[in-house]
Amino acid sequence: MSGTGPGTGARPARHDTGGTGPPGGTGPPGGADVAAITDDLRAFLAAATGRDELLRIPPAAALFGTAVGLDSLTGTLLLREIQRRFGVDVAGEDLNLDSLATLGTLAEFVAQRIKPGGSP
Amino acid sequence: MTRESPAGEGTVKCVVCDIDNTLLTGIYLEAGDQPPGADPVLTTVLAELGERGILHALASKNPPEAAAHTARVTGWRFAAAECGWDRKSDALARIAATLGIGVDALAFVDDDPFERAEVGFALPGVLVLSPEDAAEAPGWPEFSPPVITPEARRRAEMYAERQQRQAAERSFGGTKEEFLETVGTRVTIAAATAADVPRLHELAARTRQFNSVAGQPPATGAGPAAGMTQDWFRDLLAAGDCDVATVRLRDAFGDDGLVGACVVMREAGIWTVPLLMMSCRAMGRGAIDALLAWLVRQAARAGARRLRIPCVTNSRNVPLRLALAAAGFRVPEAAGAAGQGTARQGAAGQGPEGGEAGGGEAGGGNATSGQVPAVFERDVGTALPVLPGWVEAPGEQGGDAA
Repeated sequence: MSGTGPGTGARPARHDTGGTGPPGGTGPPGGADVAAITDDLRAFLAAATGRDELLRIPPAAALFGTAVGLDSLTGTLLLREIQRRFGVDVAGEDLNLDSLATLGTLAEFVAQRIKPGGSP
Repeated sequence: MTRESPAGEGTVKCVVCDIDNTLLTGIYLEAGDQPPGADPVLTTVLAELGERGILHALASKNPPEAAAHTARVTGWRFAAAECGWDRKSDALARIAATLGIGVDALAFVDDDPFERAEVGFALPGVLVLSPEDAAEAPGWPEFSPPVITPEARRRAEMYAERQQRQAAERSFGGTKEEFLETVGTRVTIAAATAADVPRLHELAARTRQFNSVAGQPPATGAGPAAGMTQDWFRDLLAAGDCDVATVRLRDAFGDDGLVGACVVMREAGIWTVPLLMMSCRAMGRGAIDALLAWLVRQAARAGARRLRIPCVTNSRNVPLRLALAAAGFRVPEAAGAAGQGTARQGAAGQGPEGGEAGGGEAGGGNATSGQVPAVFERDVGTALPVLPGWVEAPGEQGGDAA
């Protein structure tokens, strides 16, 4: 089975970044994308866990901590969804998975990979 | 008869069967008030394979009632059923995802040559069989696991319990910890005994998502090994310089038995875990996290400073890496890199053989693939992890003496 390398399947985020946008992203270039991606990740986490309160977690929320409680199962589903939706292979590019520290760090990691060349 | 899949002992974990003119002696929707009965030959084959721990599932272009009828007349408990009118290859992919196994661990039985061709083309890793082929399948190596453990015989039941558990969890609403507590989760960690050896070997052969060595026997000081055979595990149990710990898991939905194990080598100041493996059935149920937390606490109690877990990283054991990250393990040289991505890829490239084949569950071959393990480690001196009250383990309150 031939693997698809990281980045080869990269495609832009599939959603409209205009209308939505609660304060999510911090302010690097491409902040609108980060905010939209943050919303997408919140929606996915809430759906995957059945916990609506995850729709309202701040970007600083630790994913592995008690707030979100990401474990190997929900984490795998989340990374699979990120790959499917954004074409970003987080596990392939981040050995230690430090990008999963918080909701915000993950959204920024994804945003940078969607737009290669975007500087942090 | 075509057998395109490379022969390997016990590579098939689940047989997915069509219903009309395959498991049934006719066509469900054309039979009116008297739906057809079970095909006697295939029913016997199902029973024989089920005894070996092979799961069964249904993929049929029929309404869901056809699956219920088929379960009734065959007397078999199907681990998954996909009824609908889309492509069978899509149905098989969903079944693999539901069961948490790879698509290439599936065999597919259908009387319709078109369906066989569609699945064979879309999913070349699937062993595709006509009903006539399937009648002979019990004699083939793909359907013959080298060992059959009590856990294997209960596998179909355990997958049914898993479906009930997942449904309960979806409607629960609280946190994961609250759910695990509510359903009476019990994790029991204990020293391995000789009676555990067949199951340890089976775990070494079958686990992929939580497996730190990708099927290759690690260096343990017990000499070179051709594979993680039962003899290899017996030697480990006899060796004085390492310990083998087992993990058992049960809850209100059922008893999953021995789901995981690890090998621990204690050296002055540093503990190393050359092998860590756990069944994917334990995923999301706190067992891997409990084992990692207990290892850290044990190492700390013994006065060690660091705990190291070498891990061959590939696209299939991302769940293990997530558990390691959640438990605070890092690859130090990678963690020290400033820029995300490129610097880390360099650090991960210690094992540049790469080209990790197959699976592709969370990506294909990539920068973190390689047969040389990355050494994940964490300090054990500070901030000891908490072990939930439902974990029973040596050295812990309520557990055996260490």
